[in-house]
Amino acid sequence: MKQTPLELRITKKMQPGVITLNGFLGNDDRHFHEIIADDEKTLEKLGYTAEQVAERMQYFTDLSWEFYEQPVEVEGKYAVETEIVRGKLPCPFSHPGVYRKAFTILTNTETGVTIRWSSLNLHLIKAHHFFEGKGSTYRLDPELLVKTLF
Amino acid sequence: MIKLILTDIAILTVVSVFFAILLVIAQRFLSNYGILKININGKRDVSVKGGNSLLSSLSEEQIFIPSACGGRGSCGACKCKVIEGGGPLLPTEKPLLTKAEMDSGIRLACQVKVKTEIKIDIPESIFNIRRFKTRIAKIEDYTYDTKGITFELLEPGTISFKAGQYMQLETQPYGKVKQKVVRAYSISSGPQNDKQFQLIIRLVPEGMCTTWVHNYLKEGDEVYLTGPYGDFFIRDTDADIIFVAGGSGKAPIKSMLEDLEVKGTDRKMTYFFGARTTKDLYLTEYMQHFEQVLPTFQYIPVLSHPSADENWNGRTGFVMPFFKEVMRDPKNTEAYLCGSPGMINAVTKALVEMGVPTEKIYYDSFG
Amino acid sequence: MDISAFVLFWAAIFTSNILLTNFLGMCSYLSVSREVESSFGLGVAVIFVLTITAGLNWLAYHYLLVPFHIEYLQYIVFIIVIAAFVQLLELIIERYAPALYYSLGIFLPLITVNCAIFGVSLFLVIREYNFLQSIAFGAGSGIGWLLAILMLAGIRTKLKDKLIPVGLRGAGISLIITGIMALGFIGFSGIVAVQ
Repeated sequence: MKQTPLELRITKKMQPGVITLNGFLGNDDRHFHEIIADDEKTLEKLGYTAEQVAERMQYFTDLSWEFYEQPVEVEGKYAVETEIVRGKLPCPFSHPGVYRKAFTILTNTETGVTIRWSSLNLHLIKAHHFFEGKGSTYRLDPELLVKTLF
Repeated sequence: MIKLILTDIAILTVVSVFFAILLVIAQRFLSNYGILKININGKRDVSVKGGNSLLSSLSEEQIFIPSACGGRGSCGACKCKVIEGGGPLLPTEKPLLTKAEMDSGIRLACQVKVKTEIKIDIPESIFNIRRFKTRIAKIEDYTYDTKGITFELLEPGTISFKAGQYMQLETQPYGKVKQKVVRAYSISSGPQNDKQFQLIIRLVPEGMCTTWVHNYLKEGDEVYLTGPYGDFFIRDTDADIIFVAGGSGKAPIKSMLEDLEVKGTDRKMTYFFGARTTKDLYLTEYMQHFEQVLPTFQYIPVLSHPSADENWNGRTGFVMPFFKEVMRDPKNTEAYLCGSPGMINAVTKALVEMGVPTEKIYYDSFG
Repeated sequence: MDISAFVLFWAAIFTSNILLTNFLGMCSYLSVSREVESSFGLGVAVIFVLTITAGLNWLAYHYLLVPFHIEYLQYIVFIIVIAAFVQLLELIIERYAPALYYSLGIFLPLITVNCAIFGVSLFLVIREYNFLQSIAFGAGSGIGWLLAILMLAGIRTKLKDKLIPVGLRGAGISLIITGIMALGFIGFSGIVAVQ
């Protein structure tokens, strides 16, 4: 598939060892456009948009940020905690700014599923509908997200 | 035909060579300003070859004025005060300077050319910044994910820093990482030993620099660092001190304590070290050593998630509730915090509620 | 070409303005025309370089290219002459006229790649000007270019706080303004023939 220089630059930034040690694409050999399109389709089938998912995630992130290093109970069925490690990451789509390595760890006590996302994950979903490639450490499966968050 | 081509090429070559030689000769005579002196802060003279920009002339002398755009005159970071010999203000500088700056002689070091003897003023802290070639003298394991690394200075051989400042470490390409990465880490040793310094580095999962440090660096390796930078250091007052730092945030506090051990102090000081479990505690005996040599110092580790089988009989939970144990007069208390933005956020809030003035809370926030 | 150098000089400024009728030298025209002050500096530098390179390239063409029958190399030779001359000029004024250097010097490297300079050198060959005509044409074109960039800079300064559709900001509106100015200059056409 032919890529524009901009797409090439983005794909390059998603490779391992450029922005993060293991990259954003995992072992997914689809183009990032296809990953985004496929995940959007999945969400559509479930009846949600990426913006709605991101907004929900932001809501949990903001709530737990107020309670440092301590799980906070939300809506009776979520335990949410913030964990911050050193460092900041830029967006591979070359958006300005850097994103802290701040993770929100959310456990749905009904299903017992725990998911964690970084502030960069949140930005990627909100601004680019990008949930990362299959096999990437920080891939957030849209189906799992919807099941756990709503 | 061949002859025609050859003559044409010959003529073109002659023309080009003629102009090239003309330019080389012109450059030689016209841009030769000889060796010129730059006087810095009225203290030190450095001799540089004239004709280059002030920024590059100074960096050749190992004096690094901050610059983000690399001397293109677009970031305005390399401001410095030129007292004499800078020539008139250039149109390239005007957009980046305020009226007050222009009046007081502030210039962009990347635009000012050194063509005469020149007198400048730069902050003392910049004066000390160098790029150091070092050799790793010692790597100590403090916890399962934290190492203390001692760098022995090779070139230049000594460093001058304030306890609490940080260095920038340059990695070499490794594994999947094809480019250099630069990251900042606080110095954890006292400033009295100027032949070496120590950094405490905690492994960040998938961190590009910390992975290199933890998995690839060996004793004896040569590493480049630039610094010292930062304004996180103890203010010279007689106020009580509360230190709060967890994880590798202990580094600048350790440096400050080593400094105070030599200088001596009678300020009341308490260090709250927040950690999750006993596995995250380190240098505890060394901290108790400071309690011995500094009678007004107290070290209080607090665990947030001690597991039952660890037999922890110290304080648990957050560090904040324990501040009141040591707080004498909140108005006369300084706080030095080093750690994650979340911790600093929470601790600052608690301190302000207790009445500590915001301007007396100093912090070095990583992330 | 039997046109007096004096007439050619004025013609180059108004009736066949290098920028507004030939649209040459657009890159620096669009990028430096944000402020009147720097536009003036660049304009003066263009006048200076145009006048002298027109003369130099005329000499190079008639005393080097024609005798050796290598007119087809004129593009390369002209570029070499322009680049070398601008470099040399920069060195000389940097050393001996610091004041001039501070107002002009930073614009000189920009001019090396300005197509108006190159265009004038090519015109004087195509239109078979003599030496004096070439100099007059060079100087006139330079002044014409200065005139055009000053007009645009003036208008752009006025436009600074005006509401312009987002998509047209910057180069877009500048090109539209230039087009309108060029239409105005068409009014001069036909008064003098330059070729």
